[in-house]
Amino acid sequence: MSILRITNLKTWFPTRDGIVKAVNAVDLEMKETERFGLIGETGSGKTILGMTIMRLLQPDTRVEGEIVYKGHDLLKLSEEEMRKIRGKEIAMILQNPTTSLNPVLKVGNQIAEAIRLHQGLDKRAAKEKVVEMLEAVKIPSPEKRVNEYPHEFSGGMRERVMIAMALACNPTLIIADEPTTGLDVTIKMQIVRLMKEVTKQRSMLFITHDLDAAAEICDNIAVMYAGELVEYAKTEAIFKNPMHPYTQGFLNSLPNRGLKPIRGMSPSLIGIPNGCRFYPRCDCAEENCKINHPEMVELGNGHLVRCLLHDRS
Amino acid sequence: MIEVKDLRKHFSSGILKKHSTKAVDGISFQIRRGETLGLVGESGCGKTTIGRLLLRLLEPTSGKVIFDGIDLQQLKKAELRRLRPRMQMIFQDPDASLNPRMKIADSIAEPLKLWRKMGKSEQKERVAELLETVGLNPEHLNRYPYQLSGGQNQRVVLARVLALNPDFIVADEPTSSLDVSVQAQMLNLMQELKKEFNLTVLFISHDLEVVRHISDRIAVMYRGKIVEIGDTTDILGYERHPYTNELISPASIEEDALLPGDMRTANPSGCVFYPRCPFAAEICSKKEPGMVEVEKGHWVLCER
Repeated sequence: MSILRITNLKTWFPTRDGIVKAVNAVDLEMKETERFGLIGETGSGKTILGMTIMRLLQPDTRVEGEIVYKGHDLLKLSEEEMRKIRGKEIAMILQNPTTSLNPVLKVGNQIAEAIRLHQGLDKRAAKEKVVEMLEAVKIPSPEKRVNEYPHEFSGGMRERVMIAMALACNPTLIIADEPTTGLDVTIKMQIVRLMKEVTKQRSMLFITHDLDAAAEICDNIAVMYAGELVEYAKTEAIFKNPMHPYTQGFLNSLPNRGLKPIRGMSPSLIGIPNGCRFYPRCDCAEENCKINHPEMVELGNGHLVRCLLHDRS
Repeated sequence: MIEVKDLRKHFSSGILKKHSTKAVDGISFQIRRGETLGLVGESGCGKTTIGRLLLRLLEPTSGKVIFDGIDLQQLKKAELRRLRPRMQMIFQDPDASLNPRMKIADSIAEPLKLWRKMGKSEQKERVAELLETVGLNPEHLNRYPYQLSGGQNQRVVLARVLALNPDFIVADEPTSSLDVSVQAQMLNLMQELKKEFNLTVLFISHDLEVVRHISDRIAVMYRGKIVEIGDTTDILGYERHPYTNELISPASIEEDALLPGDMRTANPSGCVFYPRCPFAAEICSKKEPGMVEVEKGHWVLCER
């Protein structure tokens, strides 16, 4: 059964220089207990997509399309109704725990906030629950750590706090935005294992540019480029048999895969030209790619790709 | 080119300066001319401190840094300043290393203004030339750092570093804030330039894969000590230290071993890696290991 279905989602920001089309006609479906990887580089719109689902963007943002969660379109809910979903049904692990945690509040109180709000527990019961949560994310001596401040935690431990916070109200869906970025390899491995463990019975949208982490955790992966999904497939297929030139280039630019860069830079999201968005950087581009904007086509086995080279229609 | 002898840097903290953190704890190594030495380790292991000590941006607690036969510690301020053009540093965050209110052209011209007596037009020419070397266009000259991407700003930093034809560069995680496709561009560029200008480089990174591509030799650091040093092919393939092994294949680590000790609670005696080491024997907790040469030029800090 699908738990989240996004149809033709557009998130546009009006700015002085023009409209920034951060998310453009994204379709995506997540099944129950699926771990869905959303990978892409800086500025590809992946974080904005996560924020759009949580409805955490400023009011003047233009959002169109449908985000259907358990049969309800989140975009049609009132702010009051949305608040009941946030944290309780869908929780987000925000990027960069150093800036996402409040430096002047004790860690325990920050986690307790959501618990008390959604579950109506009193202070003492909430604190017990917090200790339980910290234990669940394997923070040593949790009874002592609840009374400490974020600066007393290391980077990896802060990430665990973020995870504990997201898990606090036992959400069905977790949106994790770059939870492994900025961590050392050994710590990263710990966090990846932890995330895998805590999402056994849940769905997770795992947003990252870290392909190793995505490979380890996700069932399916979608690749995002310049506000669009350009490829979607099972994790194995993405790594073994990438079809989109961007996905191929992305993989080849990894240090352990040859360090061959993609030429040029990610395009600006203002005034996007017609045609394929990857066209100016693509080595396989043909004249046609400049004019026609490719649609997602299925290559069989649920492998979708947005590229004219594969579109035979 | 660079010789480091028993270098130490201890930071004290607390009101009474009672706590002392041994950020760099008795390190010796050499970098040959035209060589790239990769320095890897986790955050907090002291690798940035080494980079700073090498350029004497920090004063060491003890030990020596010899740059091209000159003992940096013996130099007076003015003498050191005269040496500065020959050694440069690339910092982690390109956006923070450029003055946000200076145009790109002025940022690159700044070292030229300070060190080279050249006319306006000559200076302009040199800036344009540098810009081309790092793969930017003349149109970027009149822009400000915020108008450029992280990758482009890092190229600007590189152009500025190259402006005075340095002999030695310390690159402190120059690509860690960049996207992978841009990181690849940057690393390839650095390698080309290194060959072209015969640069000696200390390349600091936490990413072993990145270091593998760019280094002739690699030094692995853990808690202020170098635990293994040798040719890139020796370190990646014939690694001897259990910590290096952990860095190469983190998936092989046992869950229990993953809980890291606190940097502050360093064990008073024995091997630095002992509390985390899967092969630790009793001797490791008591005796501090010394560097052992296992093959020619391949040194390991381990009793076993």
